[in-house]
Amino acid sequence: MKLSEVGESRVNGYLFVLERSLVSFLPRDTARDAVREIDSHLRDRIAVVDAAPDERTALEKILSDLGPPRRVAQAYSVERSVDEAVMTGKTFAIVSAVWHVAMSGVTGFLMGFLAFCGYMIGAAFVILGIMKPFFPDQIGFWVNDDSALKGFDLSWRMGLGPGVRHEHLVGGYWVVPICLGVGFGILYLTHRGVRAFLRWWRRRRAPFSVSVRPAL
Amino acid sequence: MPLETWLEQLRRGTLDLAILLTVSAGPRYGLAIIQHLEEFTDLVVAEGTIYPILGRLTREGLLESSWVEDEAPHPRKYYRLTRQGASRLAHMKTEWRSFVEKIDRLMKADSAAERSQREA
Repeated sequence: MKLSEVGESRVNGYLFVLERSLVSFLPRDTARDAVREIDSHLRDRIAVVDAAPDERTALEKILSDLGPPRRVAQAYSVERSVDEAVMTGKTFAIVSAVWHVAMSGVTGFLMGFLAFCGYMIGAAFVILGIMKPFFPDQIGFWVNDDSALKGFDLSWRMGLGPGVRHEHLVGGYWVVPICLGVGFGILYLTHRGVRAFLRWWRRRRAPFSVSVRPAL
Repeated sequence: MPLETWLEQLRRGTLDLAILLTVSAGPRYGLAIIQHLEEFTDLVVAEGTIYPILGRLTREGLLESSWVEDEAPHPRKYYRLTRQGASRLAHMKTEWRSFVEKIDRLMKADSAAERSQREA
């Protein structure tokens, strides 16, 4: 089938959207190479197809077999970002992979949410540990003096300054090693957990990366 | 787990092996790989998403790719097995045969138990 001007525009539009989606996370050269390959695939398909019943229907069938451009880009993003994260273990690569996985389904979203909470809580502890020497009277474990069981009350909290009246600070500078230890511990465990999840995810392959038609 | 999900996982898990087997005979471009898989298996890959998988196998050093400009009216990207890919494929084939053999043995044992139960 030889494409008319309208058909060419449709193909170019598809490739344009694909490239725009790919360059958001791939280096420009890699994205261009990927688009060139998809273009080549389309030209091969178009060359052997009859324009039946009409060019538009035949072309839409070819594009639909290929998948929507954003979905194709998403498959690239998962394959690439998850691979990089698992292989390098770099923080940025892991965060990027978690982001892409979180966008791809419920399991990924839940994992992304847990990872976000873990990193945030860990970072908060570390920040408190670092800031304690600069704000010795503001940061630490606060105990409610009004409690019947002073010192053993579950209303203990940690943070910046008293939130309610009748609270006093305990722990002194022990807060620094405790916060740093707990914070780095949480960050380490979260990081390990996320990497393990991504390895599992990589093994099972993202559900949208390969679609398998059931055997007839 | 529904049967369909299990089947999908099974097929998905064997896709890397199927792709490596497809290019082991000689260099192929993406569409030729898809057509080969369609011809010999019921692993039908969503066409646009095989390319990221080929890209991953290339990054892992199992495949290498190169553009061929003069074979068709447009350039095609060919994939071929690297030495590392050939070695991985050999291991995968051995593992696959061993796996199938074990499952076969298990199924035979199950059939024998079923037969003896029926006879009793």
